[in-house]
Amino acid sequence: MSDSASGSVDKSVQVKLVLLGEAAVGKSSVVLRFVSNEFQANKEPTIGAAFLTQKCRLEDRVLRYEIWDTAGQERFHSLAPMYYRNAQAAVVVYDVTKATSLEKAKSWVKELQRQANPNIVIALAGNKIDLVQPSVSSPGALSSSESEDEADDATATPGETPNFSGEEPESLRQVPREEAQAYATEAGLLFFETSAKTGEGVVDIFTEIAKKIPIEHILAATRGTARSGTGGRGTGQESGVNLEETVSNSKDGCNC
Amino acid sequence: MSTISTALRNFKEPTKEQLTQIFFSLPSVGSLDGTAKTSAQEVEKMDINAVLSLGVQGVEESYAGKLHIMSPYLAFTSLDRKSVRFTIPLSTIRRVERLNARAGIYALSLSTWHGQKIIVQLTSLRPTADLFCSLLRDALKIELQRGQMKLVKGFVKTCYSEALVSTTSTVADNEREDGSLISEEKADAAPRESTYHGGLGLRFKFPGDPKKLREASKIKLWTIYLREHGRNLTLLRYPQCTRLVQVGLPNRLRGEMWEVLSGSMYLRYSNPGFYEKLLDDNKGRTSTSTEDIEKDLHRSLPEYAGYQSEDGINALRRVLQAYSFKNPELGYCQAMNILAAAILIYMSEEQAFWLLEVLCDRLLPGYYAPSMHGTLLDQRVFESLVQRTLPIIHDHFQVVDVQLSVASLPWFLSLYINSMPMIFAFRIVDCFFCMGPKVLFQVGLMLGSPQAILKINGEKLLQIQDDGGFLNLMRDYFASLGDSAHPDSSDPRARAITKFQELLLVSFREFSVITDDMILSERRRFRSEIIHSIESFAKRSAIRNLKTLGRFSKDQAGLIYDALYKSMCIIPPPAATAPAPVLFNTNDGNEEKPETRIELRTFQYFLSEIATWARNEKIVMNGFQQRVDREIAEHEFIDRLFFFWDTSCRGALSFQDLVSGLDGVMFNDLMENIEWFFNMHDKNKDGFLTKDEVLTLSESFLFIFRYEVGDAYLGAVSRFMTNAFEYGDTLLPQSESENSNDGETSPRPQIESNQPYLNLATFRMVVLADEILESFFEADLSASFRLEPVPEMELPVSNSGLLGNLWSTIATDSNKKIFNTFTDEIGKTIGKHQVIHRPSIGRYTKLEEPKARESLLTPSMRKSPSKASLTGTSSTTTLVTSSSSSLAVDVKAEPAKALPTIPDSASFAPMVHAVNASLMERTPFAIDDAKDDEDESDDEFDDPDNDDQVMDEVDAFLEAHDSGLTDADKEVANDLLHAEPVK
Repeated sequence: MSDSASGSVDKSVQVKLVLLGEAAVGKSSVVLRFVSNEFQANKEPTIGAAFLTQKCRLEDRVLRYEIWDTAGQERFHSLAPMYYRNAQAAVVVYDVTKATSLEKAKSWVKELQRQANPNIVIALAGNKIDLVQPSVSSPGALSSSESEDEADDATATPGETPNFSGEEPESLRQVPREEAQAYATEAGLLFFETSAKTGEGVVDIFTEIAKKIPIEHILAATRGTARSGTGGRGTGQESGVNLEETVSNSKDGCNC
Repeated sequence: MSTISTALRNFKEPTKEQLTQIFFSLPSVGSLDGTAKTSAQEVEKMDINAVLSLGVQGVEESYAGKLHIMSPYLAFTSLDRKSVRFTIPLSTIRRVERLNARAGIYALSLSTWHGQKIIVQLTSLRPTADLFCSLLRDALKIELQRGQMKLVKGFVKTCYSEALVSTTSTVADNEREDGSLISEEKADAAPRESTYHGGLGLRFKFPGDPKKLREASKIKLWTIYLREHGRNLTLLRYPQCTRLVQVGLPNRLRGEMWEVLSGSMYLRYSNPGFYEKLLDDNKGRTSTSTEDIEKDLHRSLPEYAGYQSEDGINALRRVLQAYSFKNPELGYCQAMNILAAAILIYMSEEQAFWLLEVLCDRLLPGYYAPSMHGTLLDQRVFESLVQRTLPIIHDHFQVVDVQLSVASLPWFLSLYINSMPMIFAFRIVDCFFCMGPKVLFQVGLMLGSPQAILKINGEKLLQIQDDGGFLNLMRDYFASLGDSAHPDSSDPRARAITKFQELLLVSFREFSVITDDMILSERRRFRSEIIHSIESFAKRSAIRNLKTLGRFSKDQAGLIYDALYKSMCIIPPPAATAPAPVLFNTNDGNEEKPETRIELRTFQYFLSEIATWARNEKIVMNGFQQRVDREIAEHEFIDRLFFFWDTSCRGALSFQDLVSGLDGVMFNDLMENIEWFFNMHDKNKDGFLTKDEVLTLSESFLFIFRYEVGDAYLGAVSRFMTNAFEYGDTLLPQSESENSNDGETSPRPQIESNQPYLNLATFRMVVLADEILESFFEADLSASFRLEPVPEMELPVSNSGLLGNLWSTIATDSNKKIFNTFTDEIGKTIGKHQVIHRPSIGRYTKLEEPKARESLLTPSMRKSPSKASLTGTSSTTTLVTSSSSSLAVDVKAEPAKALPTIPDSASFAPMVHAVNASLMERTPFAIDDAKDDEDESDDEFDDPDNDDQVMDEVDAFLEAHDSGLTDADKEVANDLLHAEPVK
């Protein structure tokens, strides 16, 4: 909401990224984790798609992600092409505790590979691993208010309480990491397991995508046409994530 | 995943009557159980020219227009259809008097519950006016009998306007009302105030600052208006009403006015208790919709205090769930949560429920449907309106490839509530309920018009380069709506005008050209385009989502889809999507995606599109015309196929099942086909057919061959049966030791007809022993499945509308039928009527000479005999057909033991002695053959080389002896027909 200030960052490369996946796998939460200072704004429900931007620095380059967080409900599916057209990157999210969500993710991947921009970089993200891990490694116990908010989405599946301790959390897992990894390799996707709740793996998605995206290609394509349009936005993200930093901390850097 | 919906095809262009009903915001007839029942004793609808004036002189001018009686409502609209209108339930009319006026003037005075007098002067001819009056009288009587009159009192108590009018100035109120009513109203005055319905706003405050919104003066103005022009059920909408709505409804009155303006109040009025009952009846029920609702409850206007409390959330949950129970097909769509949350601020749950119903059903048709076709359609309409009214912007967006819908879709879906500050959005909603859906378009266009964006934001809109930029610009503009439109003006009054006021003003002025009619016609224009794109999208994703295509290409899968789609249009699967979640336990593990599955009846149609033998095609010639009548064939074989393909045993087939099923037969070679056919009849899949199953299998043959020309196929089937039982008996373990030569005479080992009997190898051998069956399995079977392009289904071309067209095709179909029967009758009388069944396989089509049968008797006359028997005139064809079908019936009753009669029958036809000899010869040959290799027979038959050898042998044998075989078989078949079951 606040990214309306004037002035432009000429160095930044604009990357259109779309999030797809079954309802309630935590797409919005993943974005929230990545663009956390937009948190309040995103409490608006997703009608069609929510639009967010986030900058990140990769070596000497600044990428500005334009993120389209699509509605997960099945009936919005037919609207999705509107959002993924011209996208340079896509994050297809599934829920590691729900086998069917991987099936849906696969069908999204298929659709993207057939219908979307042929050079699109696709990342597959298995979300909610906090539910299947012992609590030991929850670096993102974070502030309580925030995790509560996230519970709306990331862990909203009925009947499951994120119980970290003791109760053989692995049993909740329905998608083995190996299986998803094998699929991702076969389909040529980047692969991550993430937890929007703890922040684990979220930033890595965007960093890896940034590395894989043919930036020069985009620059060449957008130079001269996109300048004026992109000029009006972006600088509001003063607290943009420095990815290098956050990765090394293995912790989301933007929950400030 | 792959749900296939044909719902879009069922769209009906509203009739003129329906349009009138929509205009007057009347509940559509039959939309609810309650109204449907009572409509039994309905009075004819009628409209009449009339002039409306109020009883009180000088309050308002008179308006000429049309008065409609649409029981149980009376409605009026002025000639321009916008200045003045009302819709009043007849039950609120308490007195009707014919006024004694000057000669030639026919005027009625209607007194309503609220005591105001409406004078309508009927300006039509006297008899018309008389008719109208009698209709009105009848309708009023019915209302009285239904006891509706009594409900008014209780109902109006739920309306805030009553409290408003009576508390602010009771004196003035009473002065105006006639005696009978005063006492009642007075008595109820006290409790009334506490009983009116209201929304969360009463507890959690309404959004916005009441002072800035000038609530007090708005309330005052409305109080005056409502006192003079009726209120809630009896509101008359004069021009001032619209003006008052346009400046924004006062918060406390807003909910009720929305109800009145949208017409949802009539639903609440005529269905008392419905909402509570609906919730009670469905208590504890869960569905995909309720799950989806749960996810969104905390994301619906979360910044409003009411939705940070449990009470607010619970109310929202109940309203949304109630709607999803009421309309399970639509269920719940994201964005409905926004609407429901918004209206619940101003309305009670029950009010909100009915308003939601009106929104989803009438005001935003198809917006929230599973296909969201209404949304897509209106986006297309909006785009075309932008092109028409704002060509510069449209062109610019085209150039930079910005999609309008990216921003405008949520505007329409959530009535701007989600897009701009609530206080402004609600004013748009006010206008929307008052003036109709066109408001959404007008405001949307305004957002792109030079007066708004360009003036305020400079040239920004034309500088936009991509979707994101567009979205951001719009977001900024919405955020600034409360700012002054003229911040630099020296005039303080000009400075006070907000951007929003300007937006609203200009949008109604500039875009008054956009009318509801225009939107309707634009919708008509684009409907087929949208349906096409939705359908082709659905088709593509259905094909993409197939787990396996088998050996089909994408295009072929598309043809299968088309056939499936067509059959679903003709025979819709019963409530495909609704009960899907209940089908299986929806544990997290095996949660089922709703998937479209077709039942047997639809499958029969589907198969008739693809398999030649699954339809009855009659070529009818009656001297005038030649046509092909096609019917769906029904036979156990088709049912069998259905269950054979239903691998997951659900009693219904998915698209995937059909593709896999067809894949299992269409690419088969000879051996695979034989096995396929065998497996299909091997019900328990133990690798053996029982005797019963052998008979069923023979029936399947007869069914497939029922229209083949000539009797060669009939013969082949008879031979098959003979051989199958011979071989089968011989191969029985008990008969191993027996001498095959006296096998016929010695008592056979008894085997129950439902015991394993014939294995695949034997079956294969029996089939291969026959040239015709062999060729059937070699190629004909696979070829009888044909994927042909389904002729493009009728889609709306333009004005006649989608179902209009579908209807018209149906209509012409029935017309055709009438014409056909007519010509048939004539054809019969002049003796030229002829019906030929089109053969399913059609390998033999030549009809040479009618005497084929006799000619068989003298071997010298035979040409290539098995084929000669296939010849015959059309008349013999039908004859054969009928005999074969009756055979199929009779055979069923025939126990397997009928077989021993075969030799007798052969001997009792001495004429064909030679033929029989060859039959006798052949059978032992085959049996011996089988017997010798008995131990390794299985291996042998699995080896294609050996198979070939056998086939060669069989071929050779057939070549040497085929003459007259068919004839003998005919005899066998004949005997079978007449044979008595052996004890």
